[in-house]
Amino acid sequence: MNPLATIGAGFLDASETLGGIVMVLVRILRAMVPPRFDRDETWLNLYKVGVKSYPIVIMTAFFTGAIMVIQSGVYVKQTGATGLLGWGAGYAVLAEIGPVLIGLMFSGRVGANNTAELGTMKVTEQIDALRTLAIDPTHYLVVPRFVSMMLMLVLLTVLGDLFALVGGAITSEFVLEVDYRVFFQGVFNSNLLDEFFTGLIKAITFGASISVISCHYGLSVSGGATGVGRAVNASVVSNAIGIFVFDSIITWFANSSLFR
Amino acid sequence: MTHTGFRDTVAEPMPSLREGPMPRAPKQLGEVVLRVRGLKKNFGDAVVLDGIDFEMRAGEVVGVIGPGGVGKSVFVKICCGLMEPDEGHVEVLGTDLLASDQKTKQRLRERVGLVFQNYALFDFMTVGENVAFPMVQRGLAKADEIQVKVQERLAEVDLPNVRHLMPNELSGGMKKRVGLARANINDPELIFFDDPTAGLDPVTSSKIFNLIRRTQAHRNSTCLVISHDIDRMRPACDRYILLLNGLVHFRGTEADAMHSQDPIVKEFFRKGDGSKKPSDER
Repeated sequence: MNPLATIGAGFLDASETLGGIVMVLVRILRAMVPPRFDRDETWLNLYKVGVKSYPIVIMTAFFTGAIMVIQSGVYVKQTGATGLLGWGAGYAVLAEIGPVLIGLMFSGRVGANNTAELGTMKVTEQIDALRTLAIDPTHYLVVPRFVSMMLMLVLLTVLGDLFALVGGAITSEFVLEVDYRVFFQGVFNSNLLDEFFTGLIKAITFGASISVISCHYGLSVSGGATGVGRAVNASVVSNAIGIFVFDSIITWFANSSLFR
Repeated sequence: MTHTGFRDTVAEPMPSLREGPMPRAPKQLGEVVLRVRGLKKNFGDAVVLDGIDFEMRAGEVVGVIGPGGVGKSVFVKICCGLMEPDEGHVEVLGTDLLASDQKTKQRLRERVGLVFQNYALFDFMTVGENVAFPMVQRGLAKADEIQVKVQERLAEVDLPNVRHLMPNELSGGMKKRVGLARANINDPELIFFDDPTAGLDPVTSSKIFNLIRRTQAHRNSTCLVISHDIDRMRPACDRYILLLNGLVHFRGTEADAMHSQDPIVKEFFRKGDGSKKPSDER
């Protein structure tokens, strides 16, 4: 195939996907002004998305905090700068590692599940059935997922931050023999509130992007079970790309001299 | 019988729907409920519908037949507003479907039902929740009234005791009947049936067509039924259209078809889409 044609086809595919994602976002925003969405479905999604995700988030965050302390342990031992241990772990967890890692875990667990669920509904004509029953799928299915994912990713990030710091403190106490009070002193004395709020902004943005991208792929499935598999795969990849793109943008803004 | 709530309610079977000979709805030359003009739809280079003209009047049951892949389901999906045609005009219950905004379409859909070929039951809800769903979403009735109506609709389709089951616990024929109960819950004026007997055995197929006719006669609704199973749809339909090469090749009653000199029409009505050989009739 002509290389130019390949590039052109790829560009058109990417444009179509991006256009589809933007259209889903526009439909969600239109459905939210004034807010019209199914209350029961929202509660159900808050449970599925949030409550069912906390064990994996706690585990991921705990070990991430622990690993960060172990990694920095070599230098802390060499320099004896134990006071910096809490600052280093806190800074990295609150601003970067916490929201990004939890976002990636969330996209793998919740985003992929969402695409598979909506995709299966699409290929089994359940979405069409909603429309013929005079029920707008955006109001009934998409908006509750959007609200739940945004809200729950923020809460899960706060929970994850907390457990990452706990993991770091326990590791510093038992592996590096640095008192956990020294660790937490390092965290709290460093005034990491800006980093904490930057992390929350990232979590809201990741939640929105994961929900919109996963809903787009789910609702545009065609071709039966194979199509659902392809859509889930594409959704996971796109969500990861989305997380890193938005992470870069927000980090750049947060560190820009304009905001200092 | 007094209905006091969902759990303790057992709806009486509706005699007119469950017993005796199938009542035929009186012919009504009433208003046109579905009017299609110059309907065209292509998928890439494949021409599926090439200028369909069709009209249906209130109280009729019209069968849509034709070989597989001729565009019967596409035709129904366009009439329900699930698919946009490339060209043409569709008027449903006096409303121009294609010129309508989303709100008008939503209101129109409350008056129209569709029974899907592949059931399209919500697999995360019980049967009772599936049937109740359109009423619950509209929010126009109290919970106990909804449950009474659900029980009535399930009894009409001879499934009075399945409301707590999940769709995956039902057979294909039962799922079709639940689909019919769900489509009927809001008392639609116009119901589309997209191949309601696909994949069912002959006995169940006959039951489904009888049920369609009975329900139609009971509510005086208008039905458009797609099927390949012409032998079993005969008792249900007042007249037929035969789609071929993207056009309406024939329209008329069974008697018209039998007197037709067109070999294709005769072939279809005698053999039922080629699934039954003439020798089988002996």
